[in-house]
Amino acid sequence: MRIRPSFDGLVKVVLTVAAAGVLVPSAAFAQRENLPLDLPNGPAKPGFDIKRFSNAGNGWFKTFYVTETQPLRKALDDAKVAAETRVLVLSIAGGKLALLTDQMSFHHIAQGTASGKTWMATF
Amino acid sequence: MVPTIDGKMHHFNNVGLYDALFVMQDTESKTLWNHISGEAVYGPLVGRTLGPIGNLLQTNVKQALEADPKTQVAISDRPYYVAGKQVGGTGGPPGPGGTRNNLSPEAQLQDFFVSTLGKEDTRRPRMDMGLGVWSDKTRRYYPVALIRERGRAFIDRIDEKSVVIYIDPETKNPAAMFVNASIAKVEANEVRLDNGAVVRSGILLDARGKPQASDRPQQIFTRRYGFALTFPGAEVVGQ
Repeated sequence: MRIRPSFDGLVKVVLTVAAAGVLVPSAAFAQRENLPLDLPNGPAKPGFDIKRFSNAGNGWFKTFYVTETQPLRKALDDAKVAAETRVLVLSIAGGKLALLTDQMSFHHIAQGTASGKTWMATF
Repeated sequence: MVPTIDGKMHHFNNVGLYDALFVMQDTESKTLWNHISGEAVYGPLVGRTLGPIGNLLQTNVKQALEADPKTQVAISDRPYYVAGKQVGGTGGPPGPGGTRNNLSPEAQLQDFFVSTLGKEDTRRPRMDMGLGVWSDKTRRYYPVALIRERGRAFIDRIDEKSVVIYIDPETKNPAAMFVNASIAKVEANEVRLDNGAVVRSGILLDARGKPQASDRPQQIFTRRYGFALTFPGAEVVGQ
């Protein structure tokens, strides 16, 4: 199944993350295109109605593949972040990892590997 | 979440909307996934879950370091803001969230979001903000307004365990933490418990100020519709 852009009015809307992956329209506008999407022919989880699925936003965001980290303390000392900078913290193999909330508002998804164990965060 | 399926790491992208929430797809199987529950919802991997699901704690650098000075950070090539100034990044303009996320309950969903919604639970307004908590036995939503009405902190029970539901005095985010207490109240910049312990900067400290190991239920700070449609029939505290 191939889903085509289905909402002509979408091209001038930017999404704002309100909290944890819940998207609401912002006052900002930008020219965006929803990319076509290849879908398998099911099956669907009971209760999931594929007719309500929209490819709105497909191609707008880019997953953050984490390949390197640094001590948060050093990032603070180097002024790469401030004490009040908003972060999302998760536990991964070997300890805690912070992701910048501002950046995750774009990426929505981050994933990587730590000590041989994969992890993924969504926002 | 754990993106490994049958021993192989899958790669996930945000590909669209369902119930006005973003939907993930893995490039390997093309399956669609719910990003809150980690469940496969459409495609060959239906029946699978990207578990175990861990908490993504919304906090700030100060609190993160106080909780664990060894915390690492990953910074991408996207621009971001430090003290109100845009810094870093070669990967295009800042994300649409920036530093001005719209948390207002008066925010409106545009039609193209609404068209993806299922049958809504009308016990609270669609755009209400709250803390959703879930476990194997419990699915419960705490409106932020209710937490404020109860003094910004109170004790509840989840699966026979006491939990403090509170609005963090520093970050203003709602949160939940398992504690051994029956009364909680916010004073100054901390949540004080009747056993002498306090929650300060997201850390549980005993009566002598010594950090204690703590556990949190699975939780998410979210719009009402997102939690209600992900967990149909979930309890709504105060309703």
